[in-house]
Amino acid sequence: MKRPGPLITLLAGLLLGLFMLSLNATNGTKTVASTPKKESPAATASPAPTKTTAPPSPSPSRTPVADAKYTGRTDDDSAAVAVTVHDGRAVAYFCDGHSKESWLKGDVRDDGSMRLTGENGDKLDGTLKDGKRISGTVDAGGGHYAFTAENAKKPSGLYRATATVRGAKVDGGWIVLRGGKQVGILTSDGNPKAAPPIDPETGAVTVDGQQLTARPVTP
Amino acid sequence: MTVDPNAATQNFPSPEPARRTPGPARYLIPALVAAAVAVGLGVYGRTHDPAGTAFNIAGFSSTGAVKSWLATTAFFFAIVQLVSAFMVYGKLPGPRWASKLHRWSGRIAFLVAVPVAVHCLYALGYQTYETRVMYHSVLGCFFFGAFSAKMLLLRSQRLPGWLLPLVGGLVFTVLTLIWLTSALWFFHTFGVTT
Repeated sequence: MKRPGPLITLLAGLLLGLFMLSLNATNGTKTVASTPKKESPAATASPAPTKTTAPPSPSPSRTPVADAKYTGRTDDDSAAVAVTVHDGRAVAYFCDGHSKESWLKGDVRDDGSMRLTGENGDKLDGTLKDGKRISGTVDAGGGHYAFTAENAKKPSGLYRATATVRGAKVDGGWIVLRGGKQVGILTSDGNPKAAPPIDPETGAVTVDGQQLTARPVTP
Repeated sequence: MTVDPNAATQNFPSPEPARRTPGPARYLIPALVAAAVAVGLGVYGRTHDPAGTAFNIAGFSSTGAVKSWLATTAFFFAIVQLVSAFMVYGKLPGPRWASKLHRWSGRIAFLVAVPVAVHCLYALGYQTYETRVMYHSVLGCFFFGAFSAKMLLLRSQRLPGWLLPLVGGLVFTVLTLIWLTSALWFFHTFGVTT
């Protein structure tokens, strides 16, 4: 009879793979505490129905606006701005690395222009040019800033982690700029402060002795 | 009923009913399964939103380190595979249990590689933003297809003598390239560290 070994090997590998996948799907990292469900543009771990992730295209593409990430700084160099575009929607984060931050989101129109809004009347008006950069203005943290964000490649981008650490609700946002520099704010029970650095390859970050995972943010 | 001692035994030449030449199914099925596996993994990696999760094992600094060492372990066993394959085919002197060594080192290499691949696909996805990751993504999908083909081909009795070594060699080559585009890059960038 045909030898069974090879098929059993394949089956064993398949089962192992599915097992690991189920571990991943039910529990992100080994030590993350309960994640409060917030209405926020944080990426989830479950596979989405029909999302397609197109690579950033330098020339105008036939689809409305290509999915891409952009990172940059305000013209006065006081804060960083990151925008992630996906499926015609965008999420942006404005962060000065100390106390001023703002999450904004909205639609990206076919011509590349966008008006994103956040809490407290914060808004971002920007225009995507050639799929390479977004320039515009941000009204956040009580100020008005001009900014330019360039197309960013992994591991640069926008990350977020929300969790409960030692009873405190923790919400961290990170912008990893080209060149590796990180600008982030960790808000603990409503108190913002500079965030500890994350490992952009994996999103791992330690907050108050506890390991969390910052995930790439998609709209 | 008398028994004719010169008659062919019941399962000779093969269990296939009334077929003179080997059917194309023995090549087609492995090839189709291989293609389905490779393309399926690629599509999953592409359409699934990368989760950026980490898994950490005590003693290792990061997920990248864990995966790089697991991948290197798989690669080590793949080298054992190559050497034992040469022994099985008589190109190198080897013990009688060379084929057993080949099978078991292969199983270990494959099973060690699976968690690494699962994390790659789930947390990082199929990426093309850089040449290195593009090759890694393509070859990673191809590897599991090729490996499936090799496993399925083994079940056929009558294959051209060059086919198994060819597919086996392909599997080894692809795994080497995968290792070069990931673990070697990691060690080069972050140092040979745990």
